[in-house]
Amino acid sequence: MSSRRVARSGGPDALLPPLSRRALLAGAGAALAAAVTGCGRSAASSPAALHVGAVPDQDPDVLQRLHGTVADAVSGALDLEVEYTPVTDYAAAVSLFRTGDLDLVWFGGLTGVQARLQTPGAEPVAQRDIDRAFTSVFVVNTGTGLAPSDDLTALAPLRFTYGSETSTSGRLMPAWFLREAGVDPQGFPGGPGFSGSHDATLALVASGSYQAGVLNSQVWRSRTEEGAVDPAVVRYAESPPYADYHWLLGPQAAARTGVPDLRDRLADFFTGLPPGDPVLELFGASAFVPARASDHDRIEEIGRDLGLVS
Amino acid sequence: MTLLLDRPTRPATPPLRRDRRRWAWGLGAAAVLVWSLAGAGLFGADVLNPGGTAQFGRFAAAALDPAIDAAFLGLLARSALVTVAYAAAGTALALALGAVGALLVSRTTWGRRRAGWLAARGLLAVPRGLHEAVWGLLLVTLLGLDPWVGVLAIGLPYGAVTAKVVADLVDEVPRGAYRALRAAGAGRTAAALYGLLPPAAGGLLSHAFYRLECAVRSAVVLGMVGAGGLGYQLALSFASLRWEEVWSAVYALALLCLLAEVAGRAVRRRLAAPPPSARRDPVLTAAVVGTVVLVGWSCWYLALAPAALVSERTVAQLGSVLAAAWPPATDGDLLRTIGALAVDTVQMSVIALAVALPGAVLLAGPAARPAGDSSPGRRVAGTLVRAGLLLLRAVPPPVWALVLLFVLLPGVLPGALALGVYTLGVLGRLAAEATEELDPRPRTALTALGARPAGAWLYGVLPLAAGPVLVHALHRWEVAIRDTVLVGLLGAGGLGALLASELATFDWAAVTTVLAAVVVLTWVVDLVSDRARAALR
Repeated sequence: MSSRRVARSGGPDALLPPLSRRALLAGAGAALAAAVTGCGRSAASSPAALHVGAVPDQDPDVLQRLHGTVADAVSGALDLEVEYTPVTDYAAAVSLFRTGDLDLVWFGGLTGVQARLQTPGAEPVAQRDIDRAFTSVFVVNTGTGLAPSDDLTALAPLRFTYGSETSTSGRLMPAWFLREAGVDPQGFPGGPGFSGSHDATLALVASGSYQAGVLNSQVWRSRTEEGAVDPAVVRYAESPPYADYHWLLGPQAAARTGVPDLRDRLADFFTGLPPGDPVLELFGASAFVPARASDHDRIEEIGRDLGLVS
Repeated sequence: MTLLLDRPTRPATPPLRRDRRRWAWGLGAAAVLVWSLAGAGLFGADVLNPGGTAQFGRFAAAALDPAIDAAFLGLLARSALVTVAYAAAGTALALALGAVGALLVSRTTWGRRRAGWLAARGLLAVPRGLHEAVWGLLLVTLLGLDPWVGVLAIGLPYGAVTAKVVADLVDEVPRGAYRALRAAGAGRTAAALYGLLPPAAGGLLSHAFYRLECAVRSAVVLGMVGAGGLGYQLALSFASLRWEEVWSAVYALALLCLLAEVAGRAVRRRLAAPPPSARRDPVLTAAVVGTVVLVGWSCWYLALAPAALVSERTVAQLGSVLAAAWPPATDGDLLRTIGALAVDTVQMSVIALAVALPGAVLLAGPAARPAGDSSPGRRVAGTLVRAGLLLLRAVPPPVWALVLLFVLLPGVLPGALALGVYTLGVLGRLAAEATEELDPRPRTALTALGARPAGAWLYGVLPLAAGPVLVHALHRWEVAIRDTVLVGLLGAGGLGALLASELATFDWAAVTTVLAAVVVLTWVVDLVSDRARAALR
């Protein structure tokens, strides 16, 4: 029975003309070719936009909210198109800054140094007032029975976890202060852990799997205020101050956006924010202050010393 | 994890004799397991941490109370589109690469030139030996934010696996048609196209769908290292331990996996039992057309531009990374660390399999869909077990590692168990499928003779299922070695943790050395598991 007769008699299969193998292959091939060539539409919306990003260090949910606000504010003040690009990995943020995919990035102290060393011409723009004297908080599980003290040597025999590996406040500076106190920063029983985030450090110390840990003091304060800290976790010591987060601007940004004095205008924008501005509130700061590359010389030195900057 | 297709064909009547090789392999496996457990400290100090049950409970309780506010669900829906697009485009690339690669590694191509064949297979071990997440991290440094990162990170390793599977399938096709065409004067290409490809087409299609399903899970892992999509949302919520949101993302992922699985299953069924008419099967035609449309849409949605792959910037980045990466670091300290961590890695993977294999064997029975009619209770139980397995593999291994660390003390064990439960999710499903495909007659006969269900299962199902399930497990062993990179960060983490830290500090020379070690380890494990599979045949 020919397919035409089946169609006429209402056969369900033959309403579509029979597809020959060759037609099917040719059709599929053509569709794929069309798709791939049609893919030329540019990925980034506008070549002149300023691409903003941040290392995923503090509460990432807040970071998202925060950078939407920042992108709008910068965009309004500088009359530039601004796009916020999410990043979840520290090393990826540094790489994207080097490749020029990100122009303006909110880096931690160590990641900022890594990015600057890999990207000649990158310049710090601004930091928060609190970033000049940032601190880390050492926490212990109540099961250890330790009372708050400045003596870090008591932590040496405990199972200990850092935060992310290249976090300044969760790894680099605490490791440095531990070493200063005579504790081998890699020598905890079983080796130190790397929880991956400040919140994970809190949860792991609360569980007792790790008896002690260290995290960003800003996160510690905000979690304490929220009442989100498990009662099994107590503050043991606070580190001496060091310089941390800052905005870093890539060398190609000024030329690409067509704003020659982009760095100065960004610095003016951040430092000129009036007290109570929503941007400042989201950053948990009362003001931005100018940042210089030399602010992080010590971080670079310590990073080299601990093998985290090569 | 390439299974289903490259399973050895078992002789119809296995010879009834004790095989010395199997005994040797069995005893060897037991010894390695004991060694691994001892290495994980199971026979020494405490490993449990009862204090963390509250933290674990918070994670578990959130499973029943996922975040369902409209804004977050909308975010997940948009993210799911990205994940699907990466999975589809990545799979398409893998199949294209696999088709070309298969030519390179097929015995048909090399004929008697065994050295060339071995070299080509060795070459494939390199892309296969690196986890998708590692590919992702490496490609980000070359391509930046380009969507090709995610597509290549799935396409390259999967392409190598596909090449091996396709080559094996084509090599196993009976040679009659091919020889006849050659004898009639057809060229080698035409003879292969018309004599070898059509008989292998069914197997190829079902492998393609299996890859798609795996690619969805891989796309999520890639999202966790920055490619966007569901994995990115999951990573954000995971970093601040918002378990309700994590579970919503896990359920969304499970749903995508389920869709891919159902589609793949429909296609496989259709291939196994084609409708009687000689006409083109409309279901298969729709599947092929739908897949082509999906891939085209993915390329468009992700805005893939082939030009980005060869742009000046990419070439410059590649040059600078290669210059920094060569020569590899060879200082004694690093090599000693690598040696010690390689041992950890092997122990983790062995423990993971030791958890997954018995679990999979026990659950395969309930999870398999029974052939004939069954009681409603049995069907509900089967659905529940299958859903459980789906969730086990939908929760990404890094999440398992953290929550298991709440209740276990740091060391090799939490990571190994995290891989174990994840592998159980995958292996349980493969084992269930293997059970469904078994000859049902021995069990029916035993039941008819009055055997109780447990007895019928022990004597009628287990002996038949053991072979195929073991073969799957040995395939998963190689995968587990690679997956250690995902759970490596906490405490003792094997080579994966070392790789992550060298990548984070941009020590490219050391990265090269660790990557080489990972590839060699994967290759050795593949070799050992290949010998073990041969003994099972």
